[in-house]
Amino acid sequence: MGHPLMHITQPAAKAPISLRKYGIVFAFLGLCVLVSALCQLKVVQGAWPENTFLTVNNLMLILHQISVNGVLAVGMTFVVISAGIDLSVGSVLAFSGMMAASMATRSVGVTPWSDTYPVIFPIIAALGVGALCGGLSGWIIARFRIQAFIATLGMLLAARGFTMSVTGGNPISGLSPDFRWFGTGKLFEVIPVPVVILALVFLLAWVILNKTVFGRYVYAVGGNEKSARTSGINTGAILIWVYVVAGFLAGVAGVILTAKTGSAQTSAGSSYELDAIAAVVIGGASLAGGVGRLTGTFFGALIIGVMNNGLDILGVQSFYQLIIKGGLIVVAVILDPSRKQAG
Amino acid sequence: MKKLLLTACAAAALLSASAAMAADAPKARIAVLMYGNKAEFVQLMERYGKEHPAVKAGIAEVTFYDGRYDAAVQNDQAQMAINTKQDAIVVNPMDYEANIDIATNAKMAGIPVVVTNARLNTDEMTAEVVSDDVLGGYLEAKDVLTKLGCKGNVVIIEGPKGGSGEIQRGQGNEKALAECPAGAVKVLERKTANWSRAEALDLMQNWLSKHPGKINGVIGQNDEMALGAIEAIKAADLNVKDFAIAGIDGVTDALHAVKAGEMTSILQDARGQIQGSIDVALRAVKGPDYKPMSPIWEQYKADLAWADGQSKRYDIPWTVVTTANVDELLKDRN
Repeated sequence: MGHPLMHITQPAAKAPISLRKYGIVFAFLGLCVLVSALCQLKVVQGAWPENTFLTVNNLMLILHQISVNGVLAVGMTFVVISAGIDLSVGSVLAFSGMMAASMATRSVGVTPWSDTYPVIFPIIAALGVGALCGGLSGWIIARFRIQAFIATLGMLLAARGFTMSVTGGNPISGLSPDFRWFGTGKLFEVIPVPVVILALVFLLAWVILNKTVFGRYVYAVGGNEKSARTSGINTGAILIWVYVVAGFLAGVAGVILTAKTGSAQTSAGSSYELDAIAAVVIGGASLAGGVGRLTGTFFGALIIGVMNNGLDILGVQSFYQLIIKGGLIVVAVILDPSRKQAG
Repeated sequence: MKKLLLTACAAAALLSASAAMAADAPKARIAVLMYGNKAEFVQLMERYGKEHPAVKAGIAEVTFYDGRYDAAVQNDQAQMAINTKQDAIVVNPMDYEANIDIATNAKMAGIPVVVTNARLNTDEMTAEVVSDDVLGGYLEAKDVLTKLGCKGNVVIIEGPKGGSGEIQRGQGNEKALAECPAGAVKVLERKTANWSRAEALDLMQNWLSKHPGKINGVIGQNDEMALGAIEAIKAADLNVKDFAIAGIDGVTDALHAVKAGEMTSILQDARGQIQGSIDVALRAVKGPDYKPMSPIWEQYKADLAWADGQSKRYDIPWTVVTTANVDELLKDRN
């Protein structure tokens, strides 16, 4: 059986490097080719005048559409690598979106010089609420040694309740144009702002996860918490910060979704945690912890986005869409060569 | 003299006591079972329910219960209402079939039960106070098709598949489409966005990407989804006013969009449904002496007969909201 650490490193080392690293990219390209071919078939048959799937506009659209799930999935990647799970991100998204919206509407005389708060206020409110919710989950997990599944299940319910308590269940609309820019604006008239945010989040998170001590510790805690602790890592603090990151990013996603739809709704983000987990898992992370990379998550989110977009364009009914999505998640994990073997 | 004073005092005390008793005359307790409470429409129903004149006058006491979007939870809540001997039940059911027990059990217990807003597939209830979804679907599609002059391409954004809302509003959509000359209007796409604005936004973006410049009209089976379509059109840098768009319900955001000339909304009268239900329930509790107290009967007297509260079904009329009447309706919100 050997040294316990060998179990973590060995199976991954056995897999062929190129396939392990780029399998997900091939899967993504394959899916694009498949959808595009099906569209092309319709064009050849004369049913459609042109293939609208493989256009710059449509690809930009897909990036726009995955922005919310992509941001959530980045946070989920941290959590999953630390061998945890965060079921609360959809609810926390709704709560922070509602808090932001409550400060982004016109209310007379909030400051001497304006009828609305400067846009930085609702943003800070959303990110702060998100980070606080995440921090609370993390603290409960670390301090009381409660399973992440249970602690964040509690947060899932509580945050939804808080969301409803802000306005007694009513939606908030009439958001200021400054705030809506974060969902509907375009940089240089081309790149949607949510796509820019998504890119920034991925970039920053990549640096944190791969180039900082904190990032190394997240992998260590997820790989084997006991040995991480014996080697002097404050595992409790690492866990708390992991959930702060997830909550903070749920706040970012809350800002994007609220600004995009122009309204904060109490039902917003319901079951978004499942799409985020799906992206992370398709991207090759292991729910057992210690394994996972952000590039994988990015392509995982892209695959889900291409599938939703492609199936809409192909006119596939929504029930088949769910079946296909479900199948894809399971198949992706079965085929993933970097998968950590059970046992 | 002293005796007289004493009697007077006693009489006065008695009078005030009986007056107090009259005011305390047991309030009719009505349990209102809502399918959930995360939608603006449900919030409006709760608000208007509490504003019913009988509630304000202390004749009735209404308590709202949140069914948490679960038919089984609603069935349990109904059992609780029966066990605690509420005088009447008003139910806005989650499910057409799964909530039938509420009507059956209440009837067995001798408690009047009024079904409001959605339908139940039974006739055991005291009465239904609803709006005809087939008609609503017809009115919205008709509005879109009239604007298009029965020419062009439309998309239909549907409610959750298999729900009574999607089925009946869909039937109404079809009816209006059938009134256009055959082949004049093409339904390019139809798919569900589950009543959700965020889902409809993504769906409409994908359709706009698939059919650039081809979509002329959007039939959203509720307002939220029509609003999502409007956001998608704006995100694609197209002009919303080049599209004929309609939704159903009359939520506040939709009224604002109507005012901006972006869509038409078919108002489902939350006040009519809940206050009408409370009046019908009170009539069943208090007997033939009870006269309806809500102003809605006066408002709709041309289309809606009180019929001494004895009808099996009350159809609360829809209002087509356009720029002409939207200001009046917006005044009522907030």
